[in-house]
Amino acid sequence: MTRILPLVLALALACTACAGEDEDVAGGAADLPGPVPEGVEYADPPASAPAAPDFSAELVDGTPVTASDLWADRPVVLVFTASFCDRCAEIHRDVARAVDERDGAIALLGVVGDDDEDAGEYADDLDLGHPVAVAGERVWLSYAAREPSLVALVSRGGKVVRGWPNGIEGEQLAPHLDDLIER
Amino acid sequence: MRRAGAPLLAGLVLLAGCGGDGGGDVARIRLVVPDNNIREEGVECAGARPFRQIHRGTPYSILDADGEVVADGELPAGRAENADPSVDWESDRFPTVCVMELEVELPERPRYRLVLPESAPLEFDAALLESDAPVQLVLRG
Repeated sequence: MTRILPLVLALALACTACAGEDEDVAGGAADLPGPVPEGVEYADPPASAPAAPDFSAELVDGTPVTASDLWADRPVVLVFTASFCDRCAEIHRDVARAVDERDGAIALLGVVGDDDEDAGEYADDLDLGHPVAVAGERVWLSYAAREPSLVALVSRGGKVVRGWPNGIEGEQLAPHLDDLIER
Repeated sequence: MRRAGAPLLAGLVLLAGCGGDGGGDVARIRLVVPDNNIREEGVECAGARPFRQIHRGTPYSILDADGEVVADGELPAGRAENADPSVDWESDRFPTVCVMELEVELPERPRYRLVLPESAPLEFDAALLESDAPVQLVLRG
């Protein structure tokens, strides 16, 4: 029994480690942004920019998220996307790259429809390190997103700076992100 | 060598015969989703509201007049086409329809009915399959 005990303990530890890994669902709570990096300041959005429609939803792992909590401390890029749209996934990936190049100064939230049965698989396949929310038609329509993909840039404080129906490439998005950051 | 020729020929004839019995002609269908969404022409698309249930992976079935399913499958991704080519939109982005192209093997029947979720069925006549042009079916909102 004394000989078996270390083996049992090792197995138990291994199982705990496995369980820990399983908890980190791609697009879930673990992918919510951390604190804003020190020294980052933000520019004011254009005065004419309209207020961004706030919404609450669940991430793909069931974690509640509220959009205004995200844009309270930094600008947010919203990508309305779908698991059945290959082009949307390319856009989502490209936008994530542009956001990542800003080292945490900008947040990214993917938004899939609540009737998208493969939303979890989509987030898992892309594994962008950014949260993915599941939202109903009301949220989509509040951003005039009639079809994926639509990209919307929301300033810190919640003003829609610009929207791109049909999406935008990361390279084209980059200057718009930089306009909102004053380092 | 000469002796082997006859069985080989017979085999080829048999294979050709099997192909003919395989379930009828391949029908080409253009499924038009008239959502008039603003897009660039040629981009990948899915049905925009109110056709959001029509997208790549949506299951479809084709029934004959007796209601028997004669073919089924999943829709491919669509491509955006100009909703009204008679208009000069003066822009890269303009109202488009989303067109999905299907190739389906159909057994010979006088009439068919394409059935999609949350949509009115689309009926078409077998005579349309005789044309070189694809059968065009336009969804109704």
